Amino acid sequence: MSWVGRSVPRREDVRFLRGEATYLDDIELPGLLEGAFVRSPFAHAQLGAVDASAARRLPGVVAVLTGSDLDAEALPVGGVEGGVVAAAGHPVLARKKVRYAGEAVALVVAESRAVAEDAAELVNVDYEPLEPVLDPRTAASAPLLHDDVAENALLRWSRVHGNVDGAFAAATAVVGQSFHIPRLVAAPIETRGAIARRDPAGDVLTVWCSAQDPHRPLAQLGHSLRRDRDRLRVVVPDVGGAFGSKGAVGAEVAAVAAAAVELGVPIRWTEDRTENFLSSYQGRGLDADVELALASDGRILGLRAVLYADLGGYLYPTTAVAPHTTAMLLSGTYRIPAVSVEIFGAATTKVPTGPYRGAGRPEAALLIERMVDLAALELELDPIEVRRRNFVPPDAFPYETPLGWTYDSGSFERCLDAVLELGEIDRLREERDRARAEGRVVGIGVGMYVERAGGLWESAEVRLEPDGRVVVRTGSSPHGQGHETTFAQIVADELGVDPAAVELVWGDTREVPPGVGTFASRSVAMGGSALVTAARRLTASGGREASARFESGLVFASGAYLAVVEIDPGTGRLRVCSVAAVDDSGRIVNPLLAEGQVLGATVQGLGQCLVEEAIHDEEGQLRTSSLADYSLLTAAELPAIESRFVETPSPLNPLGSKGIGEGGAIATPAAVANAVADALAPFGVRHVDPPFTEAKLWRLLQGGAA
Amino acid sequence: MKPAAFAYDDPRELDEALTLLAREDEDVKVLAGGQSLVPLLNFRLARPDRLVDLNRVEQLGYLRREGDVLRIGALARHADLERSAEVAGGWPLLAQAACFVGHPQIRARGTVCGSVAHADPAAELPVALAALDARFHVRSVRGSRVLSADELFLGYFTTALEPDELLVEIEVPAPPAGSGSAFVEHARTHGDFALAGAAAIAAGAEARMALLAAGPVPVRARAAEALLASGASFAEAADAAVAELGLAGEDADWRRALLRELVLRALEEAGA
Repeated sequence: MSWVGRSVPRREDVRFLRGEATYLDDIELPGLLEGAFVRSPFAHAQLGAVDASAARRLPGVVAVLTGSDLDAEALPVGGVEGGVVAAAGHPVLARKKVRYAGEAVALVVAESRAVAEDAAELVNVDYEPLEPVLDPRTAASAPLLHDDVAENALLRWSRVHGNVDGAFAAATAVVGQSFHIPRLVAAPIETRGAIARRDPAGDVLTVWCSAQDPHRPLAQLGHSLRRDRDRLRVVVPDVGGAFGSKGAVGAEVAAVAAAAVELGVPIRWTEDRTENFLSSYQGRGLDADVELALASDGRILGLRAVLYADLGGYLYPTTAVAPHTTAMLLSGTYRIPAVSVEIFGAATTKVPTGPYRGAGRPEAALLIERMVDLAALELELDPIEVRRRNFVPPDAFPYETPLGWTYDSGSFERCLDAVLELGEIDRLREERDRARAEGRVVGIGVGMYVERAGGLWESAEVRLEPDGRVVVRTGSSPHGQGHETTFAQIVADELGVDPAAVELVWGDTREVPPGVGTFASRSVAMGGSALVTAARRLTASGGREASARFESGLVFASGAYLAVVEIDPGTGRLRVCSVAAVDDSGRIVNPLLAEGQVLGATVQGLGQCLVEEAIHDEEGQLRTSSLADYSLLTAAELPAIESRFVETPSPLNPLGSKGIGEGGAIATPAAVANAVADALAPFGVRHVDPPFTEAKLWRLLQGGAA
Repeated sequence: MKPAAFAYDDPRELDEALTLLAREDEDVKVLAGGQSLVPLLNFRLARPDRLVDLNRVEQLGYLRREGDVLRIGALARHADLERSAEVAGGWPLLAQAACFVGHPQIRARGTVCGSVAHADPAAELPVALAALDARFHVRSVRGSRVLSADELFLGYFTTALEPDELLVEIEVPAPPAGSGSAFVEHARTHGDFALAGAAAIAAGAEARMALLAAGPVPVRARAAEALLASGASFAEAADAAVAELGLAGEDADWRRALLRELVLRALEEAGA
């Protein structure tokens, strides 16, 4: 009997639930000092003299370091295919200028965190405030953040396919809509952090950091500190959540690492919650203008979009990825013959953005799915029928989209049918109409999605130990996904052993082969497939160990979500009554864990709909800088969430898997946004941007503008 | 997120605590449940020279009925209100309000008197106590005095307590015989700070109402109470309860509508 496909409970939870996990802050080293940062109170300012004399005199303070004290380059900038990115990497500590409120200006190293914070307050910094730049739509004509970045353009990208002008000229109808998708905070329970220690013997710097994998920190810190693999080791302990926010190392991690080299002492920095709000990169942050050209039967003839991404003061290595992904997925599950999409990635005086669960895909799904509903409204067609008329059909795979990615597999209409059946659409529509007749404000919405997942490569080593254990070294790296359980299932099937005999090793660049890591819902498709490949090599060779590096093109998970909402006209409160979720992630290794991913991602998607919004005031100060101001959903707010899977295997890997980590966060906002617009349609409301807060909805119900 | 340095005392006797509070050379703060003070310390928004921790002053840890009044000592926790049979039977509004205070962990530590002394107009218990005509017993080395809610609450996070004074007890008279009560509130998420709320006690045409997050202090809706007594409907009373509120800011129109809705719901629930 096969282990893959079975709902094996998470074996790692025993360790976590007993409090036996080792997070970064649990690590103790002899002589470990603590760091705290002096942070800019201004969003945009010239940086003058830094006077740390009083701070240095405080008992217990070891050092106060500024940008010029550290031998480190800015973190590397990452590009995207076909895009032009500016050389605006995040400095390790601010130099000459600060470009967001909360940017680290100096690092205090002391015997305790409390003393370090006392000393940080005593550091006197001269700032000459400059005008903040807040709106990505107008940033091109605003004061420059970087002297050598014209028009504040950190990223420019565009793509045209087909005869777009012809499509719009031939259209029966054209619908257009402007969107604002606010920034979000990832808010993992365990914040970021690092410990750095330089071992003088061999000049090896070891950095423990709370990260999604050890490989990207190794590359990024190696670049910044100019250290190769032989003189740099990265260790990732247990991680209490990341959601994308621990993919690229923070500037603070590089600062701590450089300081440990400079001072010759081990240093820890554990980010506090305020720092996490202010300086951990944020997600989303996109404005967009989108237009569809339509035939009278609802077929989409063309799509035009301009995306204005609010990228912040610098480019982290992954900052450009999210808007690029949004652009590349704008045609969604639909066959659109002509497209024109452009990105203006603006420098703004805010903390940089970066991947957050979904990472560009929720924006794409929200934009195209809202546009399809608006098209249906314009043509007076059923939005479900408009979707059917435009889907990429099942026989078209592999399907190259007009934007240039190739969808490996998919069954879009089957997913839609499955979610309509799961949610009982006919009953829902009857109930909605009956509720409306009673004066209640109820709506139903559908959201389709496509999720780029996998890609690049991943590594694995499998070794049979004399005592019967199978030790697996993986380049993939868990931070909540359940690798210890699912990877053991995969290896158990390949080698015919019990999963309990499989031991997983990850997260230490000295212990595991070079790899890529855990992001973009890629662990099973890439890490799991590398394991399969290594295990098969082991079996074929009859030896005791084997390794593999598995490479593959992108795989595309997909799905359909259905949401029902009701708005309380007395208070404006939106209640999401139910969510039905159908995900096609290819072959499912563990249905229990897959459902857990769907539930968790859906809840984060609901948070984006209901309460989450990082708000900056006109000075560029983050107004929502604590959990008192920035709400996260609790169990009490959650609706019934029903999950089913359609399994269209990917042809690109031996497991046939795609990805399951993000679908709920991608499709839920689209489905809820459509449901909210449906609920408000009888009141003459055409579109509402998330989050769907009480005051906004109440005002719309009074007939006012949101 | 570490507090600035402070001195710390944990007296065993009330007199000892009052003597410490009377130190004129220092800014002294009282620590009881710590659910508001400790975050303020960690944010460095509060920077007292000294904390006087009441948790070992055993004589302050009581919640008891004496005849027709309920006496809440300075160390009684929110959870005590939630769990007390006396409170459920005689002062159900307090238990109804206590359920909305944060999360169970917060209610297990946070004290009723601490919440009152903190004087956050978005806090539940000061509003419920205002509706119940509670009396606030204050002690210092100089003597003692008793204040009403109107006398105690002066503004946002501001009370009539002098730096050397301690709120040692809240005395709550019994609500009218046969009255019903309700506490309703609106928060973004369960356990989050309330955006608006209302407490109501109703016995026929006689009703008392107090509003949460409707101004700088708990707002007793006396005009609405008078209207009800003269035969007005709940809806008319709800209109009157929010008519005079000095709400400001971009969401003032929505907050007024929300408060009206909550007053109406509280009256309907209490009067049902």
